[in-house]
Amino acid sequence: MSEGGEIRIETRNLCKIFGTKAPIVRAVDNVSLAIRKGEFVSLLGPSGSGKSTVLNMIATLLPATSGEILLDGKPLTPGRPDRTVGYVYQKDTLFPWRTVQENVGYGLELAGMPVSERRRRVAAALAEVGLAEFGSFYPSSLSGGMRQRVSLLRTLIMEPQILLMDEPFGALDTHTKLDMHRILLDLWERGRQTVVFVTHDLGEALTLSDRIILLSARPGRVKQEFSVDLPRPRDAVFLRESPAYAALFSEVWHSLGEEFVRGRTE
Amino acid sequence: MRSAGAVTVLWQIAICLVILATWQWGYDLRDKMPWLVPDLLDPYFVAKPSEIFEHFLRLSCLVDKDQWTLGVKDAFAACMHRSENNLWVALFVTLKNTLFGFVTGVTSGFLAGLVLGRSDRLSAIFQPFIVAANAIPRIALAPVIILAFGIGDVSKVVTAWLVVVFLVFFNTFAGARAVERDHIGAARLLGASEWQITKTVIIPSTMAWLFASLAPAIAFSLIGVIVGEFIGAQRGICRMIIEAEARGEASGMMVAVFVLMISGVLLTTIMQRVQSHLLRWQPQHQEAG
Repeated sequence: MSEGGEIRIETRNLCKIFGTKAPIVRAVDNVSLAIRKGEFVSLLGPSGSGKSTVLNMIATLLPATSGEILLDGKPLTPGRPDRTVGYVYQKDTLFPWRTVQENVGYGLELAGMPVSERRRRVAAALAEVGLAEFGSFYPSSLSGGMRQRVSLLRTLIMEPQILLMDEPFGALDTHTKLDMHRILLDLWERGRQTVVFVTHDLGEALTLSDRIILLSARPGRVKQEFSVDLPRPRDAVFLRESPAYAALFSEVWHSLGEEFVRGRTE
Repeated sequence: MRSAGAVTVLWQIAICLVILATWQWGYDLRDKMPWLVPDLLDPYFVAKPSEIFEHFLRLSCLVDKDQWTLGVKDAFAACMHRSENNLWVALFVTLKNTLFGFVTGVTSGFLAGLVLGRSDRLSAIFQPFIVAANAIPRIALAPVIILAFGIGDVSKVVTAWLVVVFLVFFNTFAGARAVERDHIGAARLLGASEWQITKTVIIPSTMAWLFASLAPAIAFSLIGVIVGEFIGAQRGICRMIIEAEARGEASGMMVAVFVLMISGVLLTTIMQRVQSHLLRWQPQHQEAG
Protein backbone atom coordinates (compact mmCIF):
# COMPACT_ATOMS: atom_id res chain seq x y z
CA MET A 1 0.00 0.00 0.00
CA SER A 2 1.42 3.35 -1.05
CA GLU A 3 1.49 6.63 0.86
CA GLY A 4 -1.71 8.46 1.68
CA GLY A 5 -4.90 7.26 3.34
CA GLU A 6 -5.87 8.28 6.84
CA ILE A 7 -4.09 6.87 9.88
CA ARG A 8 -6.30 4.38 11.68
CA ILE A 9 -4.06 3.12 14.48
CA GLU A 10 -1.16 5.01 15.89
CA THR A 11 1.17 4.14 18.77
CA ARG A 12 3.57 6.70 20.19
CA ASN A 13 6.63 5.64 22.20
CA LEU A 14 4.78 2.61 23.50
CA CYS A 15 6.58 0.82 26.35
CA LYS A 16 5.68 -2.21 28.42
CA ILE A 17 7.56 -3.43 31.44
CA PHE A 18 6.45 -6.59 33.21
CA GLY A 19 6.99 -6.85 36.96
CA THR A 20 7.48 -4.05 39.44
CA LYS A 21 10.36 -5.49 41.44
CA ALA A 22 13.60 -6.88 40.04
CA PRO A 23 13.90 -8.79 37.80
CA ILE A 24 11.74 -6.67 35.54
CA VAL A 25 11.25 -7.55 31.91
CA ARG A 26 11.34 -4.79 29.34
CA ALA A 27 9.09 -6.36 26.73
CA VAL A 28 8.30 -3.43 24.47
CA ASP A 29 10.57 -0.44 24.08
CA ASN A 30 9.53 2.78 22.38
CA VAL A 31 7.40 1.34 19.64
CA SER A 32 5.85 3.97 17.38
CA LEU A 33 3.66 2.76 14.56
CA ALA A 34 1.22 4.28 12.16
CA ILE A 35 -1.22 2.01 10.38
CA ARG A 36 -3.43 3.33 7.65
CA LYS A 37 -7.08 2.58 7.04
CA GLY A 38 -7.56 -0.67 5.16
CA GLU A 39 -3.94 -1.64 5.46
CA PHE A 40 -2.84 -5.19 6.26
CA VAL A 41 0.22 -4.98 8.49
CA SER A 42 2.20 -7.84 10.00
CA LEU A 43 4.22 -7.55 13.16
CA LEU A 44 7.03 -10.00 12.58
CA GLY A 45 9.67 -11.06 15.06
CA PRO A 46 11.14 -13.92 17.05
CA SER A 47 9.38 -15.01 20.23
CA GLY A 48 10.08 -12.55 23.02
CA SER A 49 10.06 -9.60 20.65
CA GLY A 50 6.94 -8.21 22.27
CA LYS A 51 4.79 -8.39 19.14
CA SER A 52 1.83 -9.96 20.93
CA THR A 53 2.26 -7.48 23.77
CA VAL A 54 1.93 -4.57 21.33
CA LEU A 55 -1.19 -6.16 19.87
CA ASN A 56 -2.73 -6.79 23.29
CA MET A 57 -2.14 -3.18 24.29
CA ILE A 58 -3.92 -2.01 21.14
CA ALA A 59 -6.74 -4.41 22.04
CA THR A 60 -6.87 -2.94 25.60
CA LEU A 61 -6.23 -6.43 26.98
CA LEU A 62 -3.07 -5.05 28.60
CA PRO A 63 -2.35 -1.57 29.91
CA ALA A 64 0.73 0.19 28.52
CA THR A 65 3.49 1.17 30.95
CA SER A 66 4.04 4.40 29.06
CA GLY A 67 3.26 5.86 25.69
CA GLU A 68 0.04 6.39 23.83
CA ILE A 69 -2.28 4.51 21.53
CA LEU A 70 -4.65 6.41 19.26
CA LEU A 71 -7.53 4.96 17.28
CA ASP A 72 -8.64 7.45 14.61
CA GLY A 73 -6.69 10.10 16.50
CA LYS A 74 -8.49 9.46 19.81
CA PRO A 75 -6.72 7.92 22.80
CA LEU A 76 -7.88 4.45 23.92
CA THR A 77 -9.82 3.92 27.13
CA PRO A 78 -7.97 1.18 28.98
CA GLY A 79 -9.98 -1.95 29.73
CA ARG A 80 -12.86 -0.93 27.48
CA PRO A 81 -12.47 -2.41 24.02
CA ASP A 82 -13.53 -0.25 21.12
CA ARG A 83 -16.61 -1.60 19.35
CA THR A 84 -14.94 -1.32 15.96
CA VAL A 85 -12.08 -3.64 17.00
CA GLY A 86 -12.14 -7.40 16.49
CA TYR A 87 -9.58 -9.75 17.99
CA VAL A 88 -8.60 -13.30 17.10
CA TYR A 89 -6.59 -15.34 19.58
CA GLN A 90 -3.90 -17.88 18.81
CA LYS A 91 -5.43 -20.18 21.38
CA ASP A 92 -8.80 -21.68 20.74
CA THR A 93 -11.17 -19.50 22.74
CA LEU A 94 -14.45 -20.83 21.40
CA PHE A 95 -16.97 -21.46 24.15
CA PRO A 96 -17.05 -25.26 24.39
CA TRP A 97 -20.61 -25.33 25.78
CA ARG A 98 -21.98 -23.50 22.73
CA THR A 99 -22.49 -25.09 19.33
CA VAL A 100 -20.68 -23.67 16.30
CA GLN A 101 -23.63 -21.49 15.33
CA GLU A 102 -24.11 -20.29 18.89
CA ASN A 103 -20.44 -19.36 19.03
CA VAL A 104 -20.55 -17.48 15.74
CA GLY A 105 -23.75 -15.69 16.74
CA TYR A 106 -22.48 -14.84 20.21
CA GLY A 107 -21.66 -11.18 19.60
CA LEU A 108 -24.91 -10.60 17.72
CA GLU A 109 -26.81 -12.21 20.59
CA LEU A 110 -25.12 -9.84 23.05
CA ALA A 111 -26.10 -6.92 20.87
CA GLY A 112 -29.73 -8.08 21.06
CA MET A 113 -30.26 -9.04 17.43
CA PRO A 114 -33.53 -10.96 16.87
CA VAL A 115 -33.13 -14.74 16.55
CA SER A 116 -34.32 -15.08 12.96
CA GLU A 117 -32.00 -12.36 11.65
CA ARG A 118 -29.14 -13.81 13.66
CA ARG A 119 -29.72 -17.30 12.38
CA ARG A 120 -29.75 -16.07 8.79
CA ARG A 121 -26.47 -14.20 9.17
CA VAL A 122 -24.73 -17.02 10.99
CA ALA A 123 -25.79 -19.53 8.33
CA ALA A 124 -24.52 -17.25 5.57
CA ALA A 125 -21.21 -16.74 7.33
CA LEU A 126 -20.70 -20.48 7.92
CA ALA A 127 -21.46 -21.21 4.28
CA GLU A 128 -18.78 -18.74 3.18
CA VAL A 129 -16.03 -20.73 4.84
CA GLY A 130 -17.37 -24.19 4.04
CA LEU A 131 -18.82 -24.97 7.43
CA ALA A 132 -22.51 -24.89 6.49
CA GLU A 133 -23.19 -28.40 7.77
CA PHE A 134 -21.36 -27.96 11.06
CA GLY A 135 -23.61 -25.38 12.69
CA SER A 136 -25.02 -27.70 15.31
CA PHE A 137 -21.67 -29.34 16.19
CA TYR A 138 -19.83 -28.60 19.39
CA PRO A 139 -16.28 -27.23 19.04
CA SER A 140 -14.79 -30.35 20.64
CA SER A 141 -15.77 -32.41 17.62
CA LEU A 142 -14.09 -30.10 15.06
CA SER A 143 -10.52 -30.13 13.79
CA GLY A 144 -8.09 -27.36 14.73
CA GLY A 145 -8.47 -25.66 11.35
CA MET A 146 -12.25 -25.73 11.53
CA ARG A 147 -12.21 -24.30 15.04
CA GLN A 148 -10.01 -21.44 13.94
CA ARG A 149 -12.36 -20.71 11.05
CA VAL A 150 -15.22 -20.54 13.54
CA SER A 151 -13.16 -18.20 15.75
CA LEU A 152 -12.51 -15.98 12.75
CA LEU A 153 -16.21 -15.88 11.89
CA ARG A 154 -17.21 -15.13 15.47
CA THR A 155 -15.07 -12.01 15.24
CA LEU A 156 -15.81 -11.05 11.62
CA ILE A 157 -19.58 -11.33 11.94
CA MET A 158 -19.44 -8.25 14.16
CA GLU A 159 -18.08 -6.41 11.11
CA PRO A 160 -15.07 -4.89 12.86
CA GLN A 161 -13.23 -2.18 10.98
CA ILE A 162 -10.02 -3.09 12.73
CA LEU A 163 -8.93 -6.69 13.03
CA LEU A 164 -6.21 -7.68 15.47
CA MET A 165 -4.85 -11.18 15.07
CA ASP A 166 -2.40 -12.83 17.45
CA GLU A 167 -0.68 -15.69 15.59
CA PRO A 168 -4.11 -17.06 14.75
CA PHE A 169 -2.74 -19.92 12.64
CA GLY A 170 0.32 -20.63 14.76
CA ALA A 171 -0.95 -23.97 16.00
CA LEU A 172 -2.00 -25.32 12.60
CA ASP A 173 -0.11 -27.63 10.25
CA THR A 174 1.34 -26.20 7.01
CA HIS A 175 -1.44 -27.44 4.81
CA THR A 176 -4.27 -26.16 6.99
CA LYS A 177 -2.41 -22.90 7.40
CA LEU A 178 -2.30 -22.28 3.63
CA ASP A 179 -6.00 -23.04 3.53
CA MET A 180 -6.61 -20.48 6.25
CA HIS A 181 -4.53 -17.89 4.36
CA ARG A 182 -6.72 -18.39 1.32
CA ILE A 183 -9.88 -17.99 3.39
CA LEU A 184 -8.57 -14.94 5.25
CA LEU A 185 -7.41 -13.22 2.03
CA ASP A 186 -10.78 -13.94 0.50
CA LEU A 187 -12.68 -12.47 3.44
CA TRP A 188 -10.33 -9.49 3.66
CA GLU A 189 -10.67 -8.64 -0.05
CA ARG A 190 -14.38 -8.21 0.60
CA GLY A 191 -14.18 -6.37 3.91
CA ARG A 192 -10.88 -4.48 3.54
CA GLN A 193 -10.53 -4.12 7.28
CA THR A 194 -7.45 -2.59 8.83
CA VAL A 195 -5.50 -5.63 10.01
CA VAL A 196 -2.64 -5.99 12.47
CA PHE A 197 -1.38 -9.55 12.21
CA VAL A 198 1.19 -10.92 14.64
CA THR A 199 3.36 -13.80 13.41
CA HIS A 200 6.85 -15.27 13.50
CA ASP A 201 6.31 -16.97 10.16
CA LEU A 202 7.84 -14.89 7.36
CA GLY A 203 6.06 -16.77 4.59
CA GLU A 204 2.73 -16.05 6.24
CA ALA A 205 3.58 -12.36 6.68
CA LEU A 206 4.56 -12.00 3.00
CA THR A 207 1.50 -13.87 1.75
CA LEU A 208 -0.95 -11.72 3.64
CA SER A 209 0.38 -8.24 4.28
CA ASP A 210 0.91 -4.89 2.60
CA ARG A 211 3.65 -4.04 5.02
CA ILE A 212 5.84 -5.96 7.45
CA ILE A 213 7.12 -4.35 10.62
CA LEU A 214 10.08 -6.29 11.93
CA LEU A 215 10.56 -6.18 15.70
CA SER A 216 13.89 -6.89 17.32
CA ALA A 217 14.52 -9.58 19.93
CA ARG A 218 13.82 -8.45 23.51
CA PRO A 219 13.35 -5.65 24.26
CA GLY A 220 11.01 -5.28 21.31
CA ARG A 221 11.82 -2.28 19.15
CA VAL A 222 10.91 -1.52 15.55
CA LYS A 223 13.95 -2.75 13.68
CA GLN A 224 12.96 -2.31 10.08
CA GLU A 225 9.93 -1.99 7.81
CA PHE A 226 9.31 -3.70 4.53
CA SER A 227 6.72 -2.84 1.98
CA VAL A 228 5.23 -5.92 0.31
CA ASP A 229 4.33 -4.76 -3.19
CA LEU A 230 2.94 -8.03 -4.46
CA PRO A 231 -0.16 -7.73 -6.64
CA ARG A 232 -3.59 -8.43 -5.17
CA PRO A 233 -5.76 -10.43 -5.11
CA ARG A 234 -3.17 -12.99 -4.11
CA ASP A 235 -3.25 -16.73 -4.27
CA ALA A 236 -1.84 -18.16 -1.06
CA VAL A 237 -0.29 -21.15 -2.82
CA PHE A 238 0.98 -19.81 -6.15
CA LEU A 239 2.21 -16.52 -4.75
CA ARG A 240 5.11 -18.40 -3.25
CA GLU A 241 6.39 -19.32 -6.74
CA SER A 242 6.77 -15.72 -7.94
CA PRO A 243 10.28 -14.22 -8.21
CA ALA A 244 9.17 -11.03 -6.42
CA TYR A 245 8.12 -13.14 -3.44
CA ALA A 246 11.46 -14.95 -3.40
CA ALA A 247 13.40 -11.67 -3.59
CA LEU A 248 11.46 -10.15 -0.71
CA PHE A 249 11.73 -13.33 1.27
CA SER A 250 15.52 -13.39 1.20
CA GLU A 251 15.70 -9.67 1.97
CA VAL A 252 13.57 -9.94 5.12
CA TRP A 253 14.92 -13.35 6.02
CA HIS A 254 18.41 -12.00 6.53
CA SER A 255 17.25 -9.30 8.90
CA LEU A 256 14.86 -11.64 10.74
CA GLY A 257 17.58 -14.28 11.06
CA GLU A 258 19.79 -11.87 12.96
CA GLU A 259 17.04 -11.37 15.52
CA PHE A 260 16.41 -15.08 15.88
CA VAL A 261 20.10 -15.55 16.67
CA ARG A 262 20.15 -12.59 19.05
CA GLY A 263 17.01 -13.82 20.81
CA ARG A 264 18.57 -17.24 21.26
CA THR A 265 21.91 -16.14 22.64
CA GLU A 266 20.40 -13.88 25.25
CA MET B 1 -18.22 -56.80 20.62
CA ARG B 2 -21.75 -58.07 20.90
CA SER B 3 -20.80 -61.56 22.02
CA ALA B 4 -18.22 -60.15 24.46
CA GLY B 5 -21.05 -58.11 26.02
CA ALA B 6 -23.25 -61.20 26.23
CA VAL B 7 -20.45 -63.14 27.93
CA THR B 8 -20.11 -60.36 30.51
CA VAL B 9 -23.82 -60.47 31.25
CA LEU B 10 -23.74 -64.26 31.56
CA TRP B 11 -20.92 -64.02 34.07
CA GLN B 12 -22.81 -61.42 36.05
CA ILE B 13 -25.91 -63.60 36.17
CA ALA B 14 -23.82 -66.62 37.21
CA ILE B 15 -22.12 -64.73 40.03
CA CYS B 16 -25.47 -63.41 41.20
CA LEU B 17 -26.92 -66.94 41.30
CA VAL B 18 -23.92 -68.29 43.21
CA ILE B 19 -24.24 -65.54 45.81
CA LEU B 20 -27.98 -66.08 46.22
CA ALA B 21 -27.61 -69.88 46.39
CA THR B 22 -24.87 -69.69 49.01
CA TRP B 23 -26.98 -67.30 50.97
CA GLN B 24 -30.11 -69.42 50.69
CA TRP B 25 -28.69 -72.91 51.31
CA GLY B 26 -25.21 -72.30 52.67
CA TYR B 27 -26.24 -72.44 56.31
CA ASP B 28 -27.81 -75.87 55.84
CA LEU B 29 -24.32 -77.26 55.23
CA ARG B 30 -23.38 -76.34 58.77
CA ASP B 31 -24.47 -79.65 60.20
CA LYS B 32 -22.07 -81.57 57.99
CA MET B 33 -19.21 -79.11 57.65
CA PRO B 34 -19.26 -76.61 60.51
CA TRP B 35 -15.72 -75.42 59.73
CA LEU B 36 -16.82 -74.21 56.30
CA VAL B 37 -19.77 -72.03 57.21
CA PRO B 38 -19.21 -68.81 59.14
CA ASP B 39 -21.58 -67.76 61.90
CA LEU B 40 -22.55 -64.75 59.88
CA LEU B 41 -24.71 -66.85 57.54
CA ASP B 42 -27.05 -67.55 60.44
CA PRO B 43 -30.53 -66.65 59.14
CA TYR B 44 -31.14 -64.92 62.43
CA PHE B 45 -28.67 -62.21 61.33
CA VAL B 46 -29.07 -62.27 57.58
CA ALA B 47 -32.44 -63.64 56.61
CA LYS B 48 -32.53 -66.03 53.69
CA PRO B 49 -33.36 -64.55 50.28
CA SER B 50 -36.65 -66.46 50.19
CA GLU B 51 -37.68 -65.01 53.57
CA ILE B 52 -36.65 -61.54 52.49
CA PHE B 53 -38.77 -61.84 49.38
CA GLU B 54 -41.80 -63.05 51.32
CA HIS B 55 -41.37 -60.27 53.81
CA PHE B 56 -41.12 -57.81 50.96
CA LEU B 57 -44.44 -59.00 49.54
CA ARG B 58 -46.09 -58.51 52.93
CA LEU B 59 -44.55 -55.13 53.67
CA SER B 60 -45.39 -53.84 50.23
CA CYS B 61 -49.00 -55.01 50.62
CA LEU B 62 -48.69 -57.10 47.48
CA VAL B 63 -49.66 -60.04 49.70
CA ASP B 64 -52.02 -59.56 52.62
CA LYS B 65 -53.24 -62.34 54.94
CA ASP B 66 -51.46 -64.88 52.71
CA GLN B 67 -53.36 -63.75 49.62
CA TRP B 68 -52.31 -61.70 46.62
CA THR B 69 -53.91 -58.28 46.78
CA LEU B 70 -53.50 -57.53 43.09
CA GLY B 71 -56.79 -57.92 41.32
CA VAL B 72 -58.74 -58.26 44.59
CA LYS B 73 -61.01 -55.30 45.05
CA ASP B 74 -59.89 -52.84 47.79
CA ALA B 75 -57.49 -55.41 49.29
CA PHE B 76 -54.38 -53.36 48.49
CA ALA B 77 -55.93 -50.15 49.78
CA ALA B 78 -57.12 -51.80 52.97
CA CYS B 79 -53.65 -53.17 53.64
CA MET B 80 -52.06 -49.81 52.89
CA HIS B 81 -54.48 -48.19 55.26
CA ARG B 82 -53.69 -50.43 58.19
CA SER B 83 -50.04 -49.57 58.58
CA GLU B 84 -48.88 -46.01 59.01
CA ASN B 85 -45.32 -46.59 57.90
CA ASN B 86 -45.76 -49.23 55.22
CA LEU B 87 -43.08 -49.72 52.60
CA TRP B 88 -44.49 -47.34 50.02
CA VAL B 89 -45.16 -44.50 52.44
CA ALA B 90 -41.73 -44.99 53.99
CA LEU B 91 -40.05 -45.00 50.59
CA PHE B 92 -41.96 -41.93 49.50
CA VAL B 93 -41.00 -40.03 52.65
CA THR B 94 -37.33 -40.97 52.39
CA LEU B 95 -37.10 -40.11 48.70
CA LYS B 96 -38.97 -36.84 49.14
CA ASN B 97 -36.59 -35.76 51.89
CA THR B 98 -33.63 -36.86 49.77
CA LEU B 99 -34.86 -34.77 46.88
CA PHE B 100 -35.48 -31.69 49.05
CA GLY B 101 -32.04 -32.01 50.62
CA PHE B 102 -30.50 -32.40 47.16
CA VAL B 103 -32.28 -29.40 45.63
CA THR B 104 -31.61 -27.03 48.52
CA GLY B 105 -28.01 -28.25 48.90
CA VAL B 106 -27.20 -27.92 45.21
CA THR B 107 -28.80 -24.49 44.89
CA SER B 108 -27.19 -22.94 47.94
CA GLY B 109 -23.83 -24.65 47.38
CA PHE B 110 -23.75 -23.42 43.80
CA LEU B 111 -24.62 -19.82 44.67
CA ALA B 112 -22.10 -19.67 47.52
CA GLY B 113 -19.38 -21.30 45.42
CA LEU B 114 -20.00 -18.93 42.54
CA VAL B 115 -19.94 -15.77 44.64
CA LEU B 116 -16.89 -16.75 46.68
CA GLY B 117 -15.10 -18.24 43.69
CA ARG B 118 -15.33 -15.00 41.76
CA SER B 119 -14.46 -12.69 44.62
CA ASP B 120 -10.92 -12.84 46.00
CA ARG B 121 -11.96 -10.59 48.85
CA LEU B 122 -14.87 -12.70 50.06
CA SER B 123 -13.02 -15.98 49.63
CA ALA B 124 -10.11 -14.62 51.69
CA ILE B 125 -12.48 -13.52 54.47
CA PHE B 126 -14.48 -16.75 54.61
CA GLN B 127 -11.65 -19.19 53.95
CA PRO B 128 -10.85 -20.13 57.61
CA PHE B 129 -14.53 -20.58 58.43
CA ILE B 130 -15.06 -22.85 55.47
CA VAL B 131 -12.00 -24.92 56.31
CA ALA B 132 -13.18 -25.27 59.90
CA ALA B 133 -16.74 -26.16 58.94
CA ASN B 134 -15.51 -28.64 56.38
CA ALA B 135 -13.33 -30.35 58.98
CA ILE B 136 -16.41 -31.32 61.03
CA PRO B 137 -17.73 -34.71 59.97
CA ARG B 138 -21.20 -33.59 58.90
CA ILE B 139 -22.79 -36.75 60.27
CA ALA B 140 -21.61 -35.80 63.78
CA LEU B 141 -24.04 -32.90 63.65
CA ALA B 142 -27.07 -35.06 62.94
CA PRO B 143 -28.09 -35.43 66.62
CA VAL B 144 -27.82 -31.67 67.05
CA ILE B 145 -30.05 -31.17 64.04
CA ILE B 146 -32.63 -33.63 65.36
CA LEU B 147 -32.58 -31.76 68.66
CA ALA B 148 -33.04 -28.42 66.93
CA PHE B 149 -35.56 -29.38 64.26
CA GLY B 150 -37.42 -32.26 65.89
CA ILE B 151 -37.91 -35.79 64.61
CA GLY B 152 -40.09 -34.74 61.67
CA ASP B 153 -39.09 -34.45 58.01
CA VAL B 154 -37.41 -31.05 58.38
CA SER B 155 -34.47 -32.43 60.33
CA LYS B 156 -33.82 -35.04 57.60
CA VAL B 157 -33.82 -32.40 54.90
CA VAL B 158 -31.43 -30.27 56.94
CA THR B 159 -29.05 -33.18 57.49
CA ALA B 160 -29.10 -34.01 53.79
CA TRP B 161 -28.60 -30.34 52.91
CA LEU B 162 -25.59 -30.14 55.19
CA VAL B 163 -23.95 -33.13 53.52
CA VAL B 164 -24.68 -31.93 49.98
CA VAL B 165 -23.94 -28.24 50.34
CA PHE B 166 -20.22 -28.61 51.02
CA LEU B 167 -19.68 -31.07 48.22
CA VAL B 168 -21.37 -28.77 45.72
CA PHE B 169 -19.79 -25.66 47.18
CA PHE B 170 -16.22 -26.94 46.76
CA ASN B 171 -16.89 -28.14 43.23
CA THR B 172 -18.48 -24.87 42.20
CA PHE B 173 -15.78 -22.86 43.93
CA ALA B 174 -13.06 -24.69 41.99
CA GLY B 175 -15.07 -24.26 38.80
CA ALA B 176 -15.57 -20.54 39.31
CA ARG B 177 -11.82 -20.15 39.83
CA ALA B 178 -11.04 -22.16 36.71
CA VAL B 179 -12.97 -19.98 34.26
CA GLU B 180 -10.58 -19.33 31.38
CA ARG B 181 -9.32 -15.77 31.28
CA ASP B 182 -9.23 -15.88 27.51
CA HIS B 183 -12.91 -16.83 27.40
CA ILE B 184 -13.69 -13.75 29.45
CA GLY B 185 -11.35 -11.67 27.28
CA ALA B 186 -12.93 -12.97 24.09
CA ALA B 187 -16.42 -12.19 25.37
CA ARG B 188 -15.41 -8.69 26.39
CA LEU B 189 -13.84 -8.06 22.97
CA LEU B 190 -17.10 -9.16 21.36
CA GLY B 191 -18.91 -6.47 23.32
CA ALA B 192 -20.07 -8.25 26.48
CA SER B 193 -20.84 -6.16 29.54
CA GLU B 194 -19.77 -7.39 32.99
CA TRP B 195 -23.22 -8.81 33.62
CA GLN B 196 -23.28 -10.49 30.21
CA ILE B 197 -19.87 -12.02 30.95
CA THR B 198 -21.24 -13.44 34.19
CA LYS B 199 -24.33 -14.77 32.48
CA THR B 200 -22.81 -16.18 29.29
CA VAL B 201 -19.27 -17.18 30.32
CA ILE B 202 -18.78 -17.53 34.07
CA ILE B 203 -22.04 -19.30 34.91
CA PRO B 204 -22.02 -21.79 32.00
CA SER B 205 -18.36 -22.55 32.55
CA THR B 206 -18.90 -23.10 36.28
CA MET B 207 -22.04 -25.16 35.60
CA ALA B 208 -19.85 -27.81 34.02
CA TRP B 209 -18.25 -28.40 37.42
CA LEU B 210 -21.59 -28.29 39.17
CA PHE B 211 -23.05 -30.92 36.83
CA ALA B 212 -20.11 -33.20 37.51
CA SER B 213 -21.04 -33.17 41.20
CA LEU B 214 -24.76 -33.97 40.74
CA ALA B 215 -24.44 -37.77 40.82
CA PRO B 216 -22.39 -37.88 44.04
CA ALA B 217 -24.64 -35.17 45.50
CA ILE B 218 -27.81 -37.26 45.19
CA ALA B 219 -26.03 -40.25 46.78
CA PHE B 220 -24.79 -38.03 49.62
CA SER B 221 -28.26 -36.63 50.10
CA LEU B 222 -29.69 -40.11 50.56
CA ILE B 223 -26.99 -40.88 53.14
CA GLY B 224 -27.85 -37.69 55.01
CA VAL B 225 -31.52 -38.63 55.18
CA ILE B 226 -30.71 -42.19 56.29
CA VAL B 227 -28.50 -40.98 59.13
CA GLY B 228 -31.18 -38.52 60.21
CA GLU B 229 -33.80 -41.26 60.24
CA PHE B 230 -31.59 -43.56 62.30
CA ILE B 231 -31.23 -40.96 65.00
CA GLY B 232 -34.89 -40.26 65.27
CA ALA B 233 -37.81 -40.39 62.88
CA GLN B 234 -41.50 -41.10 62.73
CA ARG B 235 -41.55 -42.27 59.13
CA GLY B 236 -39.15 -43.45 56.48
CA ILE B 237 -37.29 -46.52 55.28
CA CYS B 238 -34.77 -46.44 58.10
CA ARG B 239 -37.51 -46.12 60.64
CA MET B 240 -38.62 -49.51 59.26
CA ILE B 241 -35.13 -50.89 59.83
CA ILE B 242 -35.16 -49.71 63.43
CA GLU B 243 -38.62 -51.22 63.99
CA ALA B 244 -37.59 -54.53 62.43
CA GLU B 245 -34.46 -54.61 64.56
CA ALA B 246 -36.52 -54.05 67.68
CA ARG B 247 -38.63 -57.07 66.75
CA GLY B 248 -35.55 -59.09 65.87
CA GLU B 249 -36.75 -59.48 62.29
CA ALA B 250 -33.72 -59.79 60.06
CA SER B 251 -35.85 -60.19 56.94
CA GLY B 252 -37.63 -56.90 57.57
CA MET B 253 -34.31 -55.10 57.87
CA MET B 254 -33.01 -56.71 54.71
CA VAL B 255 -36.11 -55.65 52.74
CA ALA B 256 -35.40 -52.06 53.67
CA VAL B 257 -31.73 -52.45 52.76
CA PHE B 258 -32.63 -53.84 49.34
CA VAL B 259 -35.14 -51.09 48.71
CA LEU B 260 -32.46 -48.53 49.60
CA MET B 261 -30.00 -50.24 47.27
CA ILE B 262 -32.43 -50.16 44.37
CA SER B 263 -33.36 -46.52 45.06
CA GLY B 264 -29.68 -45.59 45.21
CA VAL B 265 -28.95 -47.26 41.89
CA LEU B 266 -31.95 -45.62 40.23
CA LEU B 267 -31.21 -42.14 41.58
CA THR B 268 -27.55 -42.29 40.57
CA THR B 269 -28.36 -43.64 37.13
CA ILE B 270 -30.89 -40.89 36.51
CA MET B 271 -28.39 -38.27 37.67
CA GLN B 272 -25.68 -39.68 35.43
CA ARG B 273 -28.06 -39.50 32.48
CA VAL B 274 -28.93 -35.91 33.31
CA GLN B 275 -25.26 -35.12 33.70
CA SER B 276 -24.33 -36.64 30.34
CA HIS B 277 -27.06 -34.68 28.67
CA LEU B 278 -26.11 -31.36 30.26
CA LEU B 279 -22.42 -31.94 29.51
CA ARG B 280 -22.98 -33.27 25.99
CA TRP B 281 -20.53 -30.69 24.64
CA GLN B 282 -17.66 -32.38 26.43
CA PRO B 283 -15.91 -35.03 24.33
CA GLN B 284 -16.21 -37.77 26.94
CA HIS B 285 -20.00 -37.46 26.94
CA GLN B 286 -20.44 -37.36 23.18
CA GLU B 287 -20.29 -41.10 22.50
CA ALA B 288 -22.95 -41.83 25.06
CA GLY B 289 -25.04 -38.80 24.10
